[in-house]
Amino acid sequence: MNDEIKSSCSTGTGGEPETTRSTVPMGIVVLTFALLFLGGVYFDHHSGWFNAKVYSPYVSAEQLELYQPKSGAAAALAQGKKVYETVCGICHGPDGMGKPGQAPPLAGSEWVNAAGFHRLAQIPLDGLNGDFQVEGKDWNLNMAPMGAALSDSDLAAVLTYIRSSWGNKAGPVTADDVKAIRAAVGGHPAVSAAQLSSIPE
Amino acid sequence: MKNGFSVFIAAFIALGLSWCGFVLGSAKQLGTAKQAAVLNSSDTYPIQPTGDATLGLQVYRANGCAACHTEQVRQDNVVCDVVLTGAGKRNPAAVTNLISTLKLTGLTKDEADAASDQITAAGGSVETHIVPVGVDIARGWGLRQSVAADFLYNDPVQLGSLRAGPDLANVGARLPDINWQLVHLYAPQALVKNSAMPPFRFLFEVRKLGDAPSPDALQFPQGFAPPAGCEVVPTPEAKQLVAYLLSLKADAPLYEAPFTPVTTKP
Repeated sequence: MNDEIKSSCSTGTGGEPETTRSTVPMGIVVLTFALLFLGGVYFDHHSGWFNAKVYSPYVSAEQLELYQPKSGAAAALAQGKKVYETVCGICHGPDGMGKPGQAPPLAGSEWVNAAGFHRLAQIPLDGLNGDFQVEGKDWNLNMAPMGAALSDSDLAAVLTYIRSSWGNKAGPVTADDVKAIRAAVGGHPAVSAAQLSSIPE
Repeated sequence: MKNGFSVFIAAFIALGLSWCGFVLGSAKQLGTAKQAAVLNSSDTYPIQPTGDATLGLQVYRANGCAACHTEQVRQDNVVCDVVLTGAGKRNPAAVTNLISTLKLTGLTKDEADAASDQITAAGGSVETHIVPVGVDIARGWGLRQSVAADFLYNDPVQLGSLRAGPDLANVGARLPDINWQLVHLYAPQALVKNSAMPPFRFLFEVRKLGDAPSPDALQFPQGFAPPAGCEVVPTPEAKQLVAYLLSLKADAPLYEAPFTPVTTKP
């Protein structure tokens, strides 16, 4: 049966109209793909990447995170992170791992994780000078008193942040603590490791 | 049929893909949803409804409430308001001056952060309030948009699509009076003048007053009371329906729909 149809087709009467191979105008092709692209961009922008937690008007999980109302400890950590990234992170790195030749690591550092924060708080307030050992490694650098210009609450927040991030698990520091330490030792010349070790933690 | 198999395969793939997108995808994302944590609180949301409220959902269905009422609040945008909580001791006058020059409401998050940084630097202390905005919210129908968590215990979900009546997503928080709800079901026009809602009298029983009035009897506003010697008592269905309506409280700030609850001072 099929053979019969085929043969009749191939021999053909010649009267059947045939379409010639028509091409779509290039303009239409370009327009179609441009519209598809725009649609894709719109879709991506408004779908929040199909995250079940992201509803319009939020467009991404990151943006939603920004709009979380912060209070108490969470607010202090968020503030500390912000200060850290603008002031400390440039040398100590956004991950607290330090940079060779620039700054020692804060993650896992025995100075940061000490039970008390009096030695730690003095470093940003007065600066640090000379030989310094962190996790068994020798450093010999000068740190300017980067924290002297920060407010009590900002410095407290950033100290709390470095003491509780990247695996560090030391206690928080309050603005009042920083105020007391600043009143006691603020404005002193840069300290050395030996001087720091001589004061109580 | 010529190419029958190909047609079947094509149809199967087309329907299968939409099934994956609409059914499998959403089931994978939300099928295992549990109670969510309320922001800045140890509470969870939503609260497990009472037995009456669960039965009330079926009364809601049976009476076709969803034909005229929706349970979904829309939100068009979110803004931040910066609220001064203290002028500080250093220079309160400077903080007050600064406040008067700054725009503090209807800000984006970045603008709000910049403003609160400025005020904090001047010595004041501020809070940033997250404020959802939208037409439904402006009408007082809800505090934030409806999200999947709101419908965790609703089986089936009564989203609704037509708003001949107001949205009910937050009715339990808006109109928490049981008697109001019951009277409104019995005679809507007694409480809302020109209401288009039909009365649901068959959910109530009008009966002769016995020795003492029933504790369940409806308290009507003046002019709508039943004739002397009669009282109107709700049937169990009416009580269940009202229990369901009062369980509709979308008033908790959630991770996916954050807002700062406004605490009104008594």
